[in-house]
Amino acid sequence: MRPLYAFLLLALLCACQVRTQEFEDANDNDFAEFEDDDEFVEASFETSPTAENAETITAEGRGGAGAGPGPGAGEAKLKPPSASRIEQDEDEDGLVEDDDDEFEHFQDEEEFEGYDGGDGVKEAPIDQKTEPKLNIPNIPLHFRTHWDSYWMEMLMVAGLLAYFANFFAGKAKNARLAQLWFSTHKALLEDNFALVGDDGKVEIENPGLVKESESLYTLWCSGRTCCEGMLVELKMIKRQDLVSLLAGLMRPQLDQAHIKIELTKGLMDGFVFAVGTKKTIAKVFKEYTDLSKFCSLVAKPEDRYNVPSGFGVLSEIPEATSSILESRIITALNKYQSYIDYLHISDQFSGPIQQEEGQSTLKQPETKAVLLAGFNLPKHAEMETIKPLLLLIFYLMERLKTYRMSKEGKSKSDKNRLRVEEEFLKSTHAARAEAAAQRREDKRKQEKERVLADEDPEKQRRWELKEQKRQAKKNAPKMKRLAVKSL
Amino acid sequence: MSITVDPRRKEKINRYKAPKNAGQGGANEDMLPDYMNILGMIFSMCGLMMKLKWCAWFALYCSCISFASSRASDDAKQVLSSFMLSVSAVVMSYLQNPAAMTPPWAS
Repeated sequence: MRPLYAFLLLALLCACQVRTQEFEDANDNDFAEFEDDDEFVEASFETSPTAENAETITAEGRGGAGAGPGPGAGEAKLKPPSASRIEQDEDEDGLVEDDDDEFEHFQDEEEFEGYDGGDGVKEAPIDQKTEPKLNIPNIPLHFRTHWDSYWMEMLMVAGLLAYFANFFAGKAKNARLAQLWFSTHKALLEDNFALVGDDGKVEIENPGLVKESESLYTLWCSGRTCCEGMLVELKMIKRQDLVSLLAGLMRPQLDQAHIKIELTKGLMDGFVFAVGTKKTIAKVFKEYTDLSKFCSLVAKPEDRYNVPSGFGVLSEIPEATSSILESRIITALNKYQSYIDYLHISDQFSGPIQQEEGQSTLKQPETKAVLLAGFNLPKHAEMETIKPLLLLIFYLMERLKTYRMSKEGKSKSDKNRLRVEEEFLKSTHAARAEAAAQRREDKRKQEKERVLADEDPEKQRRWELKEQKRQAKKNAPKMKRLAVKSL
Repeated sequence: MSITVDPRRKEKINRYKAPKNAGQGGANEDMLPDYMNILGMIFSMCGLMMKLKWCAWFALYCSCISFASSRASDDAKQVLSSFMLSVSAVVMSYLQNPAAMTPPWAS
């Protein structure tokens, strides 16, 4: 959890940094704009008298022929500064230029006789210059964009709203279905178990279904003959997740109830067996250790065991399989074909095959005797239709208690278990040898430390001698010692 | 299939023990919320660092999916932090550039 928070903090810091940088940039730009403006304003103020001068000078040059900027204005512009410079040179150097004084003669009406466009001409160019100032585009671009351009965002927000609406609706529906299953089966469960529903607290506060997630509900029942406990997992379609629902359109899913019964030790004879839809059987055959090690897929199970078509059988000992798949079970399989996903009986159940090679693989995994079953829940919430399936489970449990294999079956089963164990030992021989060597080495190191920590030098010397002897013995070539009789 | 004798045994009651490998990726474990959490974080980072708005939005969706399919026993803080990160990615990306989003295929 901590690294996650650190990560989050880092991300926020980074984001803030990026943001401040951006902000600074924007500020810089703003100042740049202001600077530009100032320059622009300054320039306009600077140039306006010059232009004014130019106009008047041109007017002077033309002898009052007309007013307004003409094509020769650019050339004329150059004139007044030089004129003023000449004047300046005539005066003392270093004097502060006084515009009012310098251009006072321009204001003098008597100076330009017959020239009447003074004021009007003066204002017109200023207006022209100030006009672009109003058009400075300091309005951010986004204020001008229309709301229509945010259609993607609107789509995203609408998607989020739809997701949450579906979340609440789906969640409620899953809860309703789970509750319906429980209320339908409650009486039957209470007739069979002393404890129905365990919420994991010291004192059971609310017996009943436990919500693991919005689409997974569990129920623990215990206190019955033949078994240690029964765990029912109601795996619903993920109705609360819109994406899973849409994925479900491509690959239809069903609400399922998975039942796992831990059988009492020694209740059943040693055999492994599974029956179910072909698809599920193929999947569990690869997935579970006991099925992949002990069982083989039965060819043509329809003919051999009369199971309905579309069902597959995994069997270890044929006689056990045929006695489990007796007429009553076959009838039930036929009747509830669409609701039964799989039935799995095993005395060697150790869960799914472990993928990673770890320390745990040195020891053979613990095995339990279990009865697993997976049922599909009816589509239209008619839970009563699958109620007999729970009875089937209880019947199977009783059957396992009473069924005993023949001698041949038993010896075959024992042989299989021995074979699997040997295979396991063989496969882990190298690893186990390595582990044993490591243990020895550790032990020696500990002893050395202990001796070195000891104050007694005599003891240390003795230990070193012993160690040297041992090393020499280890390194010496192996040969047989022959006792030669002296003649 | 009728059972005549009462099969209930009070002395055989065992309390429920949660499976040991819960939350460590068992076969039946649903890994979707974890994947979505990681994906949401990656998208958030992309949204924040590369200023990609659609990434930020995807991150928000990922954290929604992660929230919807999380287990009750899961740490709520993790889901919350994932949410906060993706929301901050969206907010930050619009603070930096409030212009409308351009889809990834348009740019």
